[in-house]
Amino acid sequence: MSEAVRPEAVAPPAVAASREAVATARQAFEKALDRRLIAALEVCARCGICAESCHYYMSTPDPAHVPAARAEQVRAFYRRQHDPIGRLFPWLVGAKDLTEDDLDALQETAFASCTLCRRCTINCPFGVDTALIMRAARGMLTAAGKAPEMLVMLADAAIARGENADEFREIYREIVTELEQEAQERTGDPTLRIPLDKKNADILYVGLSGAHTILPAAIIFHEARANWTLSMFEASNYGLFLGDPAKAKAIAKRLIDEAVALGVKDVVLTECGHAYTALRWEAPTWFGGEFPFRVRNIEEVIAEYIQEGRLDLDPSANPEPITYHDSCNLGRNGGLLEAPRIVLRAAVEDFRELDPHGKESVCCGGGGGLVAIPEWEEIRLRAGRKKAEQVRAAGAPVVATSCENCNLQLTDLNARYKLGVKVVGLMELVVNALLKAKGRNALAIADAA
Amino acid sequence: MNAMEIETWVVAASAGVAAAGLWRHLSRTLARPLRPERARPAGSPAAGVRYAFTTGMMPWAKESTRIHLLAYLRGIVFHIGIGAGVLGLVLGLWAPALPGGSRLLLIAVLAAGALAGWGGLTARVLEPGLRALSTPDDFVSVALVSLFLSAGALAWWDARWMGAFLLLGAATLVAIPFTKIRHCFYYFFSRYFFGLFYGRRGVLGAAHHE
Repeated sequence: MSEAVRPEAVAPPAVAASREAVATARQAFEKALDRRLIAALEVCARCGICAESCHYYMSTPDPAHVPAARAEQVRAFYRRQHDPIGRLFPWLVGAKDLTEDDLDALQETAFASCTLCRRCTINCPFGVDTALIMRAARGMLTAAGKAPEMLVMLADAAIARGENADEFREIYREIVTELEQEAQERTGDPTLRIPLDKKNADILYVGLSGAHTILPAAIIFHEARANWTLSMFEASNYGLFLGDPAKAKAIAKRLIDEAVALGVKDVVLTECGHAYTALRWEAPTWFGGEFPFRVRNIEEVIAEYIQEGRLDLDPSANPEPITYHDSCNLGRNGGLLEAPRIVLRAAVEDFRELDPHGKESVCCGGGGGLVAIPEWEEIRLRAGRKKAEQVRAAGAPVVATSCENCNLQLTDLNARYKLGVKVVGLMELVVNALLKAKGRNALAIADAA
Repeated sequence: MNAMEIETWVVAASAGVAAAGLWRHLSRTLARPLRPERARPAGSPAAGVRYAFTTGMMPWAKESTRIHLLAYLRGIVFHIGIGAGVLGLVLGLWAPALPGGSRLLLIAVLAAGALAGWGGLTARVLEPGLRALSTPDDFVSVALVSLFLSAGALAWWDARWMGAFLLLGAATLVAIPFTKIRHCFYYFFSRYFFGLFYGRRGVLGAAHHE
């Protein structure tokens, strides 16, 4: 049969597109397949001990929510490609050819049923890195055009902003000037400044969209007499959620270029878990080495100011019992377990731990980009049931966190499960304690946002 | 050539197959990039790796193993049994006469390992969640190793079983690179990467936060 009349050569467009998607996904997977990923794919003995470590399983005890079962979707086609027994006797080892239907099923698994929190990893006797497998799956799906549109859009918008920064600069400067006036009124200190583009500052502070991440930081830096400047960009990196190193790198590059151009010593990221993972831990690997500046989280810096006696805090500004939710990106996966507790012990009167907390903290269900995807809201809120139970059991009317996505999810869980708590960021508590010490009113972050 | 000599050659050939198969796994894995983390460490990667292979394997170190204590201990006993099985196989070929106390200890460890193996297999059949998670390989591999350990306990009790033990040992060796049994090989990679990751980030092992 000649090439021209082979059935595959005259396949209808839908079939051809399907094959193309599968082939692209496979290529992306092969590119991601490094030694760590091979170990994670090969070592699982399917003992099922990881089940209760996953907040999805804890909230809905369905075998499909066992982390090992989730990763089996990827292992099935890995074995078909890379295991001789998987090629000869696929039924024996659960191997399977990858199809477009598999990709469709994998989309919900990788993007909506795993927040990449790594609680299963820390609980696995083998240390299987299921988040790494799910991130590879996300990369495959993104390459095949099957990633959630919202995440793609947000990542592309961030890249576009980096490419057209000058167009935004003047508008941004005006917004910052207004914010500066507001901060001056709140603190009663007309010398408070929010510097932009300040060369040779010690700190380049990177907030998020919204004044609520800038105003408290400005007050804290001012009170600590820090030499700082505000970034033109936002900290979030949706390329990380997509498992797309090229996009993640492009988004991170905006901040790196800005920090290098200004000659700062530290880039300090606002209360955002994945932003810390992206720039502190992943970006040096993407760019092939360490940066000429440190990457820190605002909680680390505040904790340092407290320990150095640079902030005068009155904890009576926060008299109610307060508990703390560890962001998985900052805590278990970022190593920032002690800094937020130093801040809380100094800024509030009655701090109570959740059980469990720290490296064993249960994910709230808002990670992995899930809070940005409206179509999976129900899955997200259901998966947060365990965290809601945990918060209720703590008996504290205020829940603090140091991650914007966790904050949004906890606020939604509060409404869904009628917890009757107030969700706040750590910076808000610190500013309340600062202002009280100066005899001023609390910040009322909601108004500022 | 007598039966014992034939069995010795069969076991040796099987060990060769296992070694070649694992060598293939090793070279295939090492052919892939390592992609080491480049970020400035917040803790000690070496301390993390030490933790991963020592304290981190203790039953109390993880919430999961505290919840599934029985299943975890069963797994530990099974794997200690496998270690005894390999020792029993080597001794069966070259030093089949052991002093009484040592022989009884070997039998006890092999028997405990076998019981743990059969117990694990039963759990895999009976527990719906575990059954749903399993592939045929999970049943075949655990059954094969449990048979090997059972035969080992019998062989060291009564030498008439030694032939069956050696042949089952040979079958198990051949199965290593081709079945889930090879997780014993990848375990070292996985725990190493686990320790490196969490040690570097100052989460496990000794941390020195900046």
